[in-house]
Amino acid sequence: MTRIAPARPRAGRARIARAAARHGTGLAVAVALFLALVLAGPLLAPHDPHAADILNRLAAPSLDYPLGTDAMGRCLLSRLLHGARLTTLSTLAVVLAAASVGTLTGAVSGYVGGTADRVLMRLCEGVSVLPALAVAMIIAGVLGLGLKAVILALAAVHWTEYARLVRNVTMVERAKTYVVAAEALGVPRLAIIRRHLLPNILGPLLAMGSYSLSWVILSFAGLSFLGLGVEPGAPEWGRMIAESRNHLREYPRLVLVPGLTIMAFVILINLLGDALGDRLRDGRTNHLATRS
Amino acid sequence: MIRLLLIRLASTCVLLLAISIAGFALLRLLPGDFAEILLMSQMDGTLPSEEAVARFSAEHGFDAPLPLQYLRWLGRLLTGDFGVSMVTGAPVLDDLELRVGASLKLALAALGLALVISLPVGALCAAFPGSTLDRALAAFAVVGMSIPNFWYALLLALFFALTLGWLPSTGHGTAAHIVLPAIAIATSISGILARYVRGCLLEELSQPYVRTARSKGLSQPRVLLGHAAPNILPAVLTLTGMQLARIFDGMIIVETLFGWPGIGRMMVEALLARDYAVIQACFLVVAGGYAVVNLAVDYAIALYDPRVREMV
Repeated sequence: MTRIAPARPRAGRARIARAAARHGTGLAVAVALFLALVLAGPLLAPHDPHAADILNRLAAPSLDYPLGTDAMGRCLLSRLLHGARLTTLSTLAVVLAAASVGTLTGAVSGYVGGTADRVLMRLCEGVSVLPALAVAMIIAGVLGLGLKAVILALAAVHWTEYARLVRNVTMVERAKTYVVAAEALGVPRLAIIRRHLLPNILGPLLAMGSYSLSWVILSFAGLSFLGLGVEPGAPEWGRMIAESRNHLREYPRLVLVPGLTIMAFVILINLLGDALGDRLRDGRTNHLATRS
Repeated sequence: MIRLLLIRLASTCVLLLAISIAGFALLRLLPGDFAEILLMSQMDGTLPSEEAVARFSAEHGFDAPLPLQYLRWLGRLLTGDFGVSMVTGAPVLDDLELRVGASLKLALAALGLALVISLPVGALCAAFPGSTLDRALAAFAVVGMSIPNFWYALLLALFFALTLGWLPSTGHGTAAHIVLPAIAIATSISGILARYVRGCLLEELSQPYVRTARSKGLSQPRVLLGHAAPNILPAVLTLTGMQLARIFDGMIIVETLFGWPGIGRMMVEALLARDYAVIQACFLVVAGGYAVVNLAVDYAIALYDPRVREMV
C-alpha cells in the first residue's frame, strides 16, 4: 500500500505518528524474531527430534536435555523447535490457499454481482453454517488422512471466510468514484479488480489473516491430536500432546510444555495481527486526511 | 411473516438437498471402484474377483447411472436406512440414535452452562466498564481464543479428576460424568459470548431511550435488565446460533478425550477405521442438524423481533 506522507500540523498528531513508528519498530523486530525462530529452529535443536535415547526415557530437564525427554527418550526441546517449522509451514499453506481462492471468488462475486454473487454467497453461507472442523475432518478422511489431505481440507472449509469479507469490501469499493472513472475509461473488469480493488482490500485481508492463522493453527493441532494429518511420531505439537497423554499424571511437563507453546504461538500471532491492523488503520486515516 | 418463513424454509430445503448430494458424492468420489471397496470390506479385506464385483454391482444397482443411484439412495435415506457399517456390518442407524442422544445431552449442558456464565458476566461488565471484572473478562476472552481446547480439556482432567479426584475423567452414565466435558466446551465459548453481550449492552446504553429511562429516575439494574436487555436479545440469539457450530467442533475433541459416547467421537473412530459408511452418516446427521437448527434460530428471531419480520 503506497502511503502519501500527510501534513501534520498539530503536535498531537506528530506524537501519534512517533508512537506508531515505535510500534512499527517493535512489530518489525517481533516479526523478524518470529521468522528467525521458525526458520532456524531446527538448527538450534540440540538433538535429532526422532532419535530415541532409551536409557534416558522420561528424563527430567538437564543440561543435555533442556526440557527433558518423552516416553521414547526423545528430546522435548528439539521436537518443539522442529514442530514450529512444521506448524508454521502447514498453516501458512492453508491460509495462503484459502486466502487466494477466497479473495478471487469474493472479488469476482462482489464486482460482477447479480446471479453469480447470489449463488456464491449462498454457497459460502451454507458452508459457514456447518461446524468447520467437523467438515474439514470428513474431507480429510475421504482424501486419505495425510498431511496434504488435512491442509487441503482446512483450506476447503476456510476460504469462504475470505470470500465473504472480500466480497463485502469490494461492494463498497466498486461504488466509489475512482472505480466508476476507470470503468468509464474502458478499463477491462479484470484489470480493475487486479489493479484497483485488490490493493484496497489488502488492509482488511491482513487484519483477517491473524484471526485466520490462529484458527488454522489450533485446528491443525487439534486434528493432529486426534490422529489426522502428520504421521505417528512426527514432532507436531498436537501429536506430541496426544502421545504423552498417558503420562499426564506422572509427567505433566510432557503435556504442559507443548500446550503452552501452542498458546504462546497463537497469542503472539494475535498480537502481531493487532499491531499490524493498528498500523494499517493509521495509514488509511492519514491517507484520507491528505485527500480531504 | 409468512413470506419470511417460506423463503427461509425454501433455502433450508435447498441447503439440505445440497448436503445430501455432498454426502452421496463423499463415498462415490473415493479413489477406486465403490462396489469393489464395499465388497472388499464385506470380505474382510481380500481382493474380490472381477466377476464377484460385477455380480455385486448388478445386485445392488451400482451399475445404474449416478443420478438414479442418488435418487434410490435418497429414498432409502428418507426411510431411515443409513446403510451398514463397513467395519462391523451392523446397521448404522442403531448406533446413530444412541450417539445423537448422548451428543445432544452434552451440547445442551454446555450451551446452558455457557449462557449461565456469559449473560450475567457480560451484563456486569457493561454496567461497570473498566472495572477489574471487565479487565479480567477481556483477558479471559483473549486466552479463551488462543488456548488449544484439547489441551485445556486435558488440564481439566488432570486437575479435577486425577489430582483432586472430585470427578470421573472418562465414561458416562451418572450426572458427574457430564460435568467436565460440559465445562471444557462451555468455557471455550463463554468468553466470546460474554464480550459480545457486553459490547451490545454498552451500545444500547448510549441510546437516547436509555437516557430517558435514567432521567425518569430508574435504577441502573432496571435500565439494564428492563430496557436494554430485551433489545439485545436478537443479536445475542444470532451469535449463540453461530456458536452452536463451535460447540460441535469442541465436542469432537472433548468426547474423544472424556470417552463420551457421542457423534463426535463416533466420527473420529470411523475416520481412523476408514469406515466410510459411518462417516457419511455422521456428515448427513451433523450437517442436516445444523441446517435445521439454523432455521429454528432464524424463526425464533423473527418471532421475537418485529423489525426482522417486516424486513422481507
